[in-house]
Amino acid sequence: MSHFYIRCPNCGPRACSEFSYNGEVRPLADPAASEAAEIDRLWLRRNANGLQRERWFHAAGCRRFVTITRDTRTNIIVAQPGEPAGDVATHA
Amino acid sequence: MAGIDFEGTDVPVQQGDTIAAALYRSGTRIFSRSFKYHRPRGLYCVSGDCPNCLVTVDGEVNVRACECAARAGQKVTRQNAWPSADRDALAVIDKLHWALPVGFYYKAGIKPKFAWPMVEPMIRKMAGLGFVDHHDAPRHLERVNWHPDVLVVGAGVAGLEAALAAAGAGSTVMLIDETTPGARVASGPTRAAIDRLTAAVAAVPAITTSWNTPATGLFEGPLLIAVSGDETFHIHPQAIVLACGGREIHRVFTDNDLPGVMLARGAARLAGVHGVRPGARAVVWAEQPEALEHIAALTAAGVEVVAVVAAEGLDTSAVTCEVIRGEVTAAKGRKRVSAIVAAGRTIACDLLAVGSEIQPNEHLVRLAYDLPVVVAGDAAGHGLTLDDAMASGRAAGERAAAGPELYAVSPATPRTCGANGYVCLCEDVSVKDLEVAIDEGFESAELLKRYTTVTMGPCQGRVCADQLRAVAARKNPDLHRVANATTLRPPVRPITLEQAIAGAPHHMERHTALTAKHLSIGGTMMWAGPWKRVEAYGDVQAEYRAVRERVGLIDVGTLGKFLVAGPDATEFLERIYPMRVADLEAGRLRYGLLLEEGGVIIDDGTVCALGDGRYYLTVTTTGAERLESWMGDWAEAWGHDVYVVNQTASLGALNVAGPQARALLQKLSDDPLDRESFPYIRHRQITVAGVECLAMRLGFVGELAYELHFPASQSAKLWDAIIAAGAEWDIRPFGLMAQRLLRLEKGHIIIAQDTDFETTPWKVGMQWAVKLDKDDFVGKAALERHLKRDDRELLVPWTMGAGTACPPEGATVTMNGNLAGRVTSAWHSPTLGHPIGLAWVKRAYAAAGSSITVGGSPATVFSGHAFYDPEGEKLRA
Repeated sequence: MSHFYIRCPNCGPRACSEFSYNGEVRPLADPAASEAAEIDRLWLRRNANGLQRERWFHAAGCRRFVTITRDTRTNIIVAQPGEPAGDVATHA
Repeated sequence: MAGIDFEGTDVPVQQGDTIAAALYRSGTRIFSRSFKYHRPRGLYCVSGDCPNCLVTVDGEVNVRACECAARAGQKVTRQNAWPSADRDALAVIDKLHWALPVGFYYKAGIKPKFAWPMVEPMIRKMAGLGFVDHHDAPRHLERVNWHPDVLVVGAGVAGLEAALAAAGAGSTVMLIDETTPGARVASGPTRAAIDRLTAAVAAVPAITTSWNTPATGLFEGPLLIAVSGDETFHIHPQAIVLACGGREIHRVFTDNDLPGVMLARGAARLAGVHGVRPGARAVVWAEQPEALEHIAALTAAGVEVVAVVAAEGLDTSAVTCEVIRGEVTAAKGRKRVSAIVAAGRTIACDLLAVGSEIQPNEHLVRLAYDLPVVVAGDAAGHGLTLDDAMASGRAAGERAAAGPELYAVSPATPRTCGANGYVCLCEDVSVKDLEVAIDEGFESAELLKRYTTVTMGPCQGRVCADQLRAVAARKNPDLHRVANATTLRPPVRPITLEQAIAGAPHHMERHTALTAKHLSIGGTMMWAGPWKRVEAYGDVQAEYRAVRERVGLIDVGTLGKFLVAGPDATEFLERIYPMRVADLEAGRLRYGLLLEEGGVIIDDGTVCALGDGRYYLTVTTTGAERLESWMGDWAEAWGHDVYVVNQTASLGALNVAGPQARALLQKLSDDPLDRESFPYIRHRQITVAGVECLAMRLGFVGELAYELHFPASQSAKLWDAIIAAGAEWDIRPFGLMAQRLLRLEKGHIIIAQDTDFETTPWKVGMQWAVKLDKDDFVGKAALERHLKRDDRELLVPWTMGAGTACPPEGATVTMNGNLAGRVTSAWHSPTLGHPIGLAWVKRAYAAAGSSITVGGSPATVFSGHAFYDPEGEKLRA
C-alpha cells in the first residue's frame, strides 16, 4: 500500500492515486549522439534505487504533467514542481 | 430468545454488556479450546488482544467476545471443540504433547509419503479456529477517505488531551478509538478524567471523532487504515499522534493459560465496568502500582482478595491483605484455577489477576518509522501517572499541529520469562517448545516465529512477542541480535477480506450516449479498451450485406477525439505525425500513423485541418486516454504553445456507410453532399436532421461513407433520424464484428490486433504514411536506423481457395512443416467467396504470389493491398 502526496501546480497537494506514473525523466534525442548512445537512451532506464526525477500525469485531476524528485526507497518527494531537483542529474 | 442464544442456552443480557461479560456473568468459564492441544481457555485480557474469547457470532467466525456488544437474539457458538468446549473429546491431544513436538509438521508425516494427504485434512479439522460458511455472499464495503490535519489514535487521557491541544493550535483533528472512551476503565480518577475530556472534545467543532474504529495499518504518506462498521477508513493526515496505550505483559509460568488466570486490567474491567464478579477468591500479582488500584474494583464487585504477590520494592503500605514478595511460579487446577504457587507457598484461589509491567501497544508505533508521528501516553513509555499521561498527550498534540519530525523506532530491551508455561496462546507454543527449537538451531526470534508460528496467530504478537524475545535472549545471552523484535506488518489487527478489499478500484466501463439504444435493439456488447461497444446485432452477415449492398450505420462515438489549437499547433502536429500536416488545406483530412520514439506504430487515425491553425484529430478507441498524456508530454518537452483538448466524451460519432449513404443523408440535409462539393478524404461542416456535424468522408469499410461528429447529447436524435430515413433501403445498424470483416476485405490493419510492439510502418507495407524527408518527427531517427536492416517478418495479406475452411485468428503459418509465421486476422469473405486474412510471415516467404501454409491449408500471399475494390472506386463514389 504505497501512498504519498504529490503537489500539483494547479490543484495543490493530491493523493498519488490521482496521478498516473509516466516514468523517469529521460533526455531528449541528441542528433549528435552515437547510435549506441541513442539506443541506450531509448531502451535503458536508470531504475534508481534512491533519488529519481520523474513525471506524473494528473489523470484524475487537471490532466497536466508534474515533474518531481522522489526517493524510490521511501517515496519521500524531495523536490516538487518549481523546486531544484536535489542531487539528481536533470534531463529535459 | 430474550438474550443471547449461546449454543442453545438463553443467556440474559444487561445494558452495556459485551458478549464476554454476559457469558461470564451466566457462569461460562471456558470460552474456547486451544488451537493445537485443545486446552481449556477462559477470558484473559478482556481487551481484544488475546485469542481466548474468539467465538462465532451469527455465522461470522473469530469474533472477539470481549469486544462485540451483546444483543438479544445473537447466535453465539464456541470454536475448535467437539462436542463442546466444556467437554471437548479432543482434549486428549493435550496428553499427547510428547508426540506432537513443535514443528511436527516438518518431522512427522514425511514417511510414508502417501499417508500425509490423508493425515493433513484430519489435522486441519482438529486444529484451528472457526469454520467459514462458503455459501455466505461477500458484501461490498465502501472505502471512505478522510483528510484531517492531525489524526489521533486512541481516546484515553493522552489521546483526548492531544486532540484538544492540536485543535487548540488551529488544526483540524480526527480522533479514533477501537472502543468508546472509557469503555474499558472502571470508575476512578482515570475514568473521571476521560469522561471530562470526552465532553470537552465533543464541544470542539474542529475535532471529528469515530469510535469503535480500530486501526489496522499505518503506511507511508502517511496513510492510516481503520475499520468502522461496514466502512473502511483511509485517513490521510499531515501528522499522527499515536496514543494507543499499553497493556500488561503476558507472564509465563506453569499452567499460565488456565481459565481463572486473567490480566489485572481485564479482571478489573469485568468487575468495575460490567459489574461481573470475576471470581470469589483472588490473588493479585502486582508488579507496578496500578495493579494495586484494581484491588478496590475487585473488592467492590464482591471478590475476596486473599493475597497480593508483590514485586520487590513495590510500595504495598496501603494493602490490607497478606503481601507475599516474589513471583507466581505456577497455577494449579484442571479446568480452572484452584490455587497458585508463589514464593514456594500454595494459596487457594479461583482468580489470579496478573498486574504485570505495562508495555506500550507498539504495533502501530513500530510501523511509524520515517513518518510524521508523535507517540504519547502509555504507548510512549510505561507506568505513567495520570497527570504525566495527560501532559504527554498535550505535548504530543502541540507537536503534531506544528508538523513533527519523522519518527525513528527505538528497540526495546527484552524482559524476563518464566521457566515453564505457554508463551503463545494462539498456537500453543510453550517455553519448552521454543527451547527445543532453539536447540535445533532456530536461534533468533525471527526464525522461531517462522518455525513455531509463535506471534503468527490472531493476537499477532500482542500476547507473546515480548516473551518470545525473552526466551531467545535467555538461551543465547551473548548471541548478537537473537532477541531483536520480529518484523511487524499490517494488518496489526485481524480484519476480514471484505474489509481488506473495501472500495477496491472500480472497474471503469464507458458507454456512449447510444448504449441503451443498442441494448434495446438486441446489440450484444464487447470490451474495447475501457468502452463497451456493440459486437453485433444478432446477424453479422446481414449487417455486412447491408453495408456492401445498401447502407449501414455504426456508432463510432468511442473514437478518441481531440481539438488541437494554439500558435504552435501546426509545428506540433508535424512533429507528432510521420506524415505531412502543414500542407493540409482547410477542409482536407489525412490518415496518420502515430509512432513512438522507437519507430513502432502505437496508434492511427485522421487529422482534419479546420483552418486558422486549428486541427481536429481522431485516434483509436483504446488509444485516446494514453495519447492525450503522450501528446501533452511532447508538447511540454518541445516547449510548444499548443492546446490538446480531449473531446472524446463530449462528442458523439456515427458512420453512415454503403452505396446509398449519400442518398440517405441528402434526405436529412440541405448541404451539398455530391461528389464534386464533398469529395473523398475531405471534411465539411454540415447539418443533418437539424444537428450540426463535422462530416468526414473516409473509407475504413471500403464503401461510400460519411463519418459524422456532433455533440454527444444529439446522438439519439441523429441515430433515430438516420434509421428512419434509411428505412427505404432497409438500413441496418452494424457492430464491430461486421466492421472488422469489412475492413479486412480492404486490407486495413487494426492497431494491436495486427501489429505488435515491434511493428514499424515498413513491416506492414505502410511506408506511404511516413515522410522521411520531413525535418523531424517522433520515431524518425529510429526508422532511419531500422531501414539499414532487413525485417525478419512482414505482415502480408493472403487468400485461400474457395471451399477451404477459414483458419482461426492466431493460426500458425508453416513452410515445409516449419513455423514461418502467424495469422492476425482471418475471415471468410462473403463477396469474394473464399477465406482472406493478414499474417506475419518470415521475409523469405513474404513475396507476393508465394505459396504458404496457413493453419494447415494452402494459401497464397496476395499481390496487392485491398482484396475488395482494389482501385478504391467505391469509396470515391
